[in-house]
Amino acid sequence: MTELLAPAGDLERLKIALLYGADAVYIGGTLYSLRANVKNFTNDDLSNACLFAHNLSKKVYVTVNMVFHNNDLKKLDDYLLFLKKIQVDAIIASDIVVVKKALEYKLNVILSTQASTLNYSAVKFWQNLGVNRFVLGREVNREDIKRIKKETNASLECFIHGAMCTSISGKCVLSNYCTNRDSNRGGCAQICRWVFNCDGPDFTLMSKDLNMVDFIEDMMNIGVDSFKIEGRMRSIYYIATVVKCYRKIIDGIQNKNLQEEEKEYYKKVLNRVANRDTIPQFYHKFPGVSESYFQDRMEVSNQDFLGIIKGYDKENKLIILEQRNYFKIGDVGEFISPNMETFTYTISKIIDENNEEIEVARHPQMIVKLPYDTEVCEYAMLRLKVFDKN
Amino acid sequence: MKNKDIIITINSLNDIEKLEKLGIKKYAYPLKEFCVGIPNTFLISEIKNDGYIYLNRILDNDGIDKLRSLLKDLPLNIRGIIFDDLGIIELVKDLKIEKILYLSHFNTNLESIKIYLNYVDNVIISTDITEEETKYINNALNGKLTVFVLGYVMAMYSRRYLIDNYSKFHNLPYKNNLVIENTNHKFLVYENEFGTCFYHLPLYNGLKLLNLNAKNYFINAVFLSVEDIKDLLEGTSNIEYDEGFLNTETTFKLKGDIDD
Repeated sequence: MTELLAPAGDLERLKIALLYGADAVYIGGTLYSLRANVKNFTNDDLSNACLFAHNLSKKVYVTVNMVFHNNDLKKLDDYLLFLKKIQVDAIIASDIVVVKKALEYKLNVILSTQASTLNYSAVKFWQNLGVNRFVLGREVNREDIKRIKKETNASLECFIHGAMCTSISGKCVLSNYCTNRDSNRGGCAQICRWVFNCDGPDFTLMSKDLNMVDFIEDMMNIGVDSFKIEGRMRSIYYIATVVKCYRKIIDGIQNKNLQEEEKEYYKKVLNRVANRDTIPQFYHKFPGVSESYFQDRMEVSNQDFLGIIKGYDKENKLIILEQRNYFKIGDVGEFISPNMETFTYTISKIIDENNEEIEVARHPQMIVKLPYDTEVCEYAMLRLKVFDKN
Repeated sequence: MKNKDIIITINSLNDIEKLEKLGIKKYAYPLKEFCVGIPNTFLISEIKNDGYIYLNRILDNDGIDKLRSLLKDLPLNIRGIIFDDLGIIELVKDLKIEKILYLSHFNTNLESIKIYLNYVDNVIISTDITEEETKYINNALNGKLTVFVLGYVMAMYSRRYLIDNYSKFHNLPYKNNLVIENTNHKFLVYENEFGTCFYHLPLYNGLKLLNLNAKNYFINAVFLSVEDIKDLLEGTSNIEYDEGFLNTETTFKLKGDIDD
């Protein structure tokens, strides 16, 4: 069974990712993660994350993947022992001192993509130390993955969706030079999204995002063990949507009932939820002009995410929803949920917190009630309906 | 001055005689098909006595296979190998040559360097740390390090053809290299068939580290002439430079604490 591995920036997103179908999540604590500028998980959150995931028989991997300076090492042992105590399923690391210490503490280690591993011989180097899983560099192509699997039989984790570094991971310090923020210690300021002056038109180096829907089956066949979604800083809506789409695709392939039109539908949904174009990159051909942006930031956001379910009033048969974007009577939406098929919902009535009917839900995070005869579970989400599945 | 302990990358075989006059005796030859960001590369057969093979590419499987094959018939005059990709450790472990690991932006702490020294003879310490950190690590290792002291520092290495793509998109004549700039931050961009490199401008000058008692000092001479090197070593150069992060520690935002 190929694992679906999702990112989570906090406990709420972790729950969403696991409930919507991820087999495992990767998260960062307040120390040593490469996303130093997000909320991340306190030690209590990390413990709760493990309890929540393990209750569902799912896994938690914790990123300890920054490149350490001497001063950063002071609390490393305590932190690794803490992670051991709360029974994280693995840590993700790239600095050899972290790898060695974690293995000494009998923690499982996943080699981070930050280690720039693109060949079987590098995999063998780390295997000899005791590393048992590898996040290969995003630059590996199909034949390289196949060969690495053949030569090493290592457990391989490959990115299937989300943002791409322009650089080979671990080989970029543009942020250090331009902002003094250390990209290899969690401070990356995404300089590859900047526009540079040049003797000629502006120079940009921004890559489009990754989307591997068309190659999931092939990746399963050549022995990829874990499909990794990028984006610990992404929203709950993004995580729910992306995880659900890939869960459906993977299950459809495994059950041999994934239809081509279904795949096309998921591709459209995935493209819509991202704020940049998503396409395959290095897997099947070398990326060229079409895989990059050349004129400023071409990012488009939408207001499709209308709200998240907070409960269900059984007596009055009302969905209790926290608003996330403007909607009004007459809008056609659809509910996505962890345990139900997506279904269309036309907004016929909106009731506010004073039990008064209103025409429009316009205030972020306002609580409203919507009539529906069947209970819809917590963490279900209402989104604007844009595409038909069939 | 410890020029005899300097390892310098060479741009032309003709440079060697001039470099010898500067007292520099150790030469690193960028190996053809195994380097990025370097216009002039060399075949193994072109390496003079006591030369180092220099490889800075991250290799795919084909690269590993080709290198393995090249190393099978390595001439006896090769003194050592300087490399980035950890996959090369396995290939060179039985060779009786000096092995120097240059992991570009890793090797920023003492403990990691100590571990790598179990596999190689020497490491080039990162330029991403301060002078104080460099001195601390070098002292603790009793001078087993190689210290990068001069040259353009590679700030980014992409597998993509960023100049070629840019030229094609804008329908411009292909021009390799480019200088790009944003809010006073400048980079020299150079690409070859193995990817695109961004060198930070201005030049990095850490020559004050020559007093560290390190094993070797490393000069990356790409885009520099021997005359430039001579003037820089003698302190008479007009080339703009800075000291990178030697005096400026990089920051990153750590929220909270393990005790939170």
